[in-house]
Amino acid sequence: MTSIGTGYDLSNSVFSPDGRNFQVEYATKAVENGGTAIGIRCKDGVVLAMEKLVTSRLMKKDANKRIATVDRNIGVVSAGLVPDGRHFVSRARDEASSWRSTYKAPIPVASLANRMGSYVQAFTLYSSVRPFGITAIVGGFDAETEVDVDGAVGSGPKVGSGGKTQGVKEGGPYLYMIEPSGLYWGYYGAATGKGRQAAKAELEKLNLDPKKGDTISLEEGVKEAARIIYVAHEDSKDKEFELEMTWISAVSGPTKGRHEDVPKELKDEAERLAKKALEGDDEMEE
Amino acid sequence: MNHFPVGWGRPRDDVYGAYNPSYLPQSHGGTQANPITHTQSPIVTGTSVLAIKYKDGVVIAADNLASYGSLARFTDVKRLKQFNRKAVVGFGGDVSDMQYLDRLLNSLDVEENYGGDAPAESGPHMSAKNLHAYLSKVMYKRRSDFNPLWNAMLVAGLDESDKPFLAYADLLGTTYSSPSLATGFGAHLAQPIMRRAVPNEAASRELSKEQAVECIKECMKVLFYRDARSMPVYSIAVIDGKGVDLKEDEKLENQSWAFAEQIRGYGTQTV
Amino acid sequence: MVQTTGMLGEDGIHVDMGHLKSGEVNLGTSIMAINFKDGVILGADSRTTTGAYIANRVTDKLTRVHDTIWCCRSGSAADTQAVADIVQYHLGMYGITNDEAPTTQTAAAIFQELCYENKDALSAGIIIAGWDHRHGGQVYSIPLGGSLHKQAYSIGGSGSTYIYGYCDANWKENMTEQEGVKFVKGALQEAIKWDGSSGGVIRMVVLTKRGAERHLYLPDRNYEGPGMDRP
Repeated sequence: MTSIGTGYDLSNSVFSPDGRNFQVEYATKAVENGGTAIGIRCKDGVVLAMEKLVTSRLMKKDANKRIATVDRNIGVVSAGLVPDGRHFVSRARDEASSWRSTYKAPIPVASLANRMGSYVQAFTLYSSVRPFGITAIVGGFDAETEVDVDGAVGSGPKVGSGGKTQGVKEGGPYLYMIEPSGLYWGYYGAATGKGRQAAKAELEKLNLDPKKGDTISLEEGVKEAARIIYVAHEDSKDKEFELEMTWISAVSGPTKGRHEDVPKELKDEAERLAKKALEGDDEMEE
Repeated sequence: MNHFPVGWGRPRDDVYGAYNPSYLPQSHGGTQANPITHTQSPIVTGTSVLAIKYKDGVVIAADNLASYGSLARFTDVKRLKQFNRKAVVGFGGDVSDMQYLDRLLNSLDVEENYGGDAPAESGPHMSAKNLHAYLSKVMYKRRSDFNPLWNAMLVAGLDESDKPFLAYADLLGTTYSSPSLATGFGAHLAQPIMRRAVPNEAASRELSKEQAVECIKECMKVLFYRDARSMPVYSIAVIDGKGVDLKEDEKLENQSWAFAEQIRGYGTQTV
Repeated sequence: MVQTTGMLGEDGIHVDMGHLKSGEVNLGTSIMAINFKDGVILGADSRTTTGAYIANRVTDKLTRVHDTIWCCRSGSAADTQAVADIVQYHLGMYGITNDEAPTTQTAAAIFQELCYENKDALSAGIIIAGWDHRHGGQVYSIPLGGSLHKQAYSIGGSGSTYIYGYCDANWKENMTEQEGVKFVKGALQEAIKWDGSSGGVIRMVVLTKRGAERHLYLPDRNYEGPGMDRP
């Protein structure tokens, strides 16, 4: 790399003459070595999936989760340095809890992404810290139903409140991806980690843009997510991995607005289909 | 009119008599140096909470009234709060402190769920017993800071081995447990009735759910008759192995008032 | 103090101005807010007293904290003004940083936090009423201790004790704007009639998707006008 030996890559607070922050670029390298993580924003929810590479046969299966819950309705998955991911989650939980104590309501996914983006970006400014070695995918569902103030008692008029603007859809599924630079965007489908290129190629084939007609359902999303992780794993086939998968639906949906593990039956089915799809690919070549 | 600052905003002497400033700090014409006080008094309050253990679980109830002194100010205040699938807390006393505790329990529940649903990973969920231990420590801490949370509450649910659990905690940090419990007025009026049904733990292990619910309803009725800070609409919850069954808009039934007709005068009068 | 000046005892409300700060200006008041078909209506009298002296006979107790979120203040004028100013600041910041107007819930939550955490120092009884796209009209009440209550309609201040019966008997859900104004005006007229600490003009604010509209009703015109202030 051109940066090596120039000295411009030694500190976070120093730009290179052509305007690059090499420490941030190195952090991105750390991300590219991590297991693939993806998120899909479906019509009625969000799916998060992670290719958890098995680093030792001595580790318990399905233990050491890599997808974490923030508040009740938001999930975070990251690719890259695991401890950095844990710190990110810890901060996200603190942000969500501080929002709750101020506003007595759950934090909107967009606001959490905004705050975490600012937090991650701050780690690119100072010589005393290094940037986050992760890219995090934040997915959640802002309640489509009305939520009252935490702790409030009483229920207002029996006939409900008057003067609501009709026909406006409130809340919904949201997905954001935050990079080591602090850059973040909202996505229909997001992928990061080692297999991100293959994963992105697969995500782009899905119907995820609501402006282009009907988007895929949450259940389809779960199956696609499993398949995409399996596809993304093809390039590092020699290594074993575990699929970790969570989802968040509307309050009216299967998870009741919460971020939860995909139920075992559904996950097993998705994995079976994913394996079958891969075998199918092989057969085409005969 | 008294134009001196001490008299500003105070009742007129010619109407209310001379103002007694003795309790005021010396700087304001008082006779004593006022200590700084932190303890408050409850303003908007809920009355009794009742609960009884039966063979598979616990039944708990409280009415839906929040009083402002003697004024029946809010009539739709739900004072039973569910916590996960194993516990219900019934609150008496100050409503603002109840709301504070409700939010505290809510944040506790959020943290509880970080571990996900897999018990093997996150350990068992908090039981009613754990919850009571936590709450009583919060209460004791606050009373030790001379800033108590002005509540008396019952924690009803299941303990870590899914056996019925019922315990009391209050603003002083006091705790106790019994097969039946009641706070406030209920401790005087309802507890004797409930003790007839469950004199001891052995008796509560024999009591059916129907008997327990019946007993609680009877007690709510007595409380409505004799507690001037009560109302006839209440919440009732049954917690057992199947989960929590909470009803928040129950009306008192089978009240007895017709005998008023036999009552004439207050002694010898008969017409 | 709010409902009256004084302490609450088991047997009711005692007149004891013990915990009024020296020289404090008091909103011994009649305030209310109601839900109606298209939003909310806030109403208040206009009397401010220090003891028996009317310090201001044309007070405006209806205070804006955001475009369509307002509050009725009762209790200490100084305390409630300070609290409303802080909430107005927070809601302004919220609107800018989140690029979206705050809801009535947000306002109620901030009001409650201030009133609850500072209950030792405050004598503030506040009714919050607001309109937003998502929730329509909403009314919240925060009485003395700092608890938060969602209500169909709310009455407060010393004058409110005289109109519990009137309001309960005449309340209807889903009223039209005209019916709502009539209900609020009728209730406040009674409160002004019977409560010495309430008086002067009746002010109202109607909050709907149209925004905020002020009404004014004068005692020397039998509270019939001038009515709505429409440019």
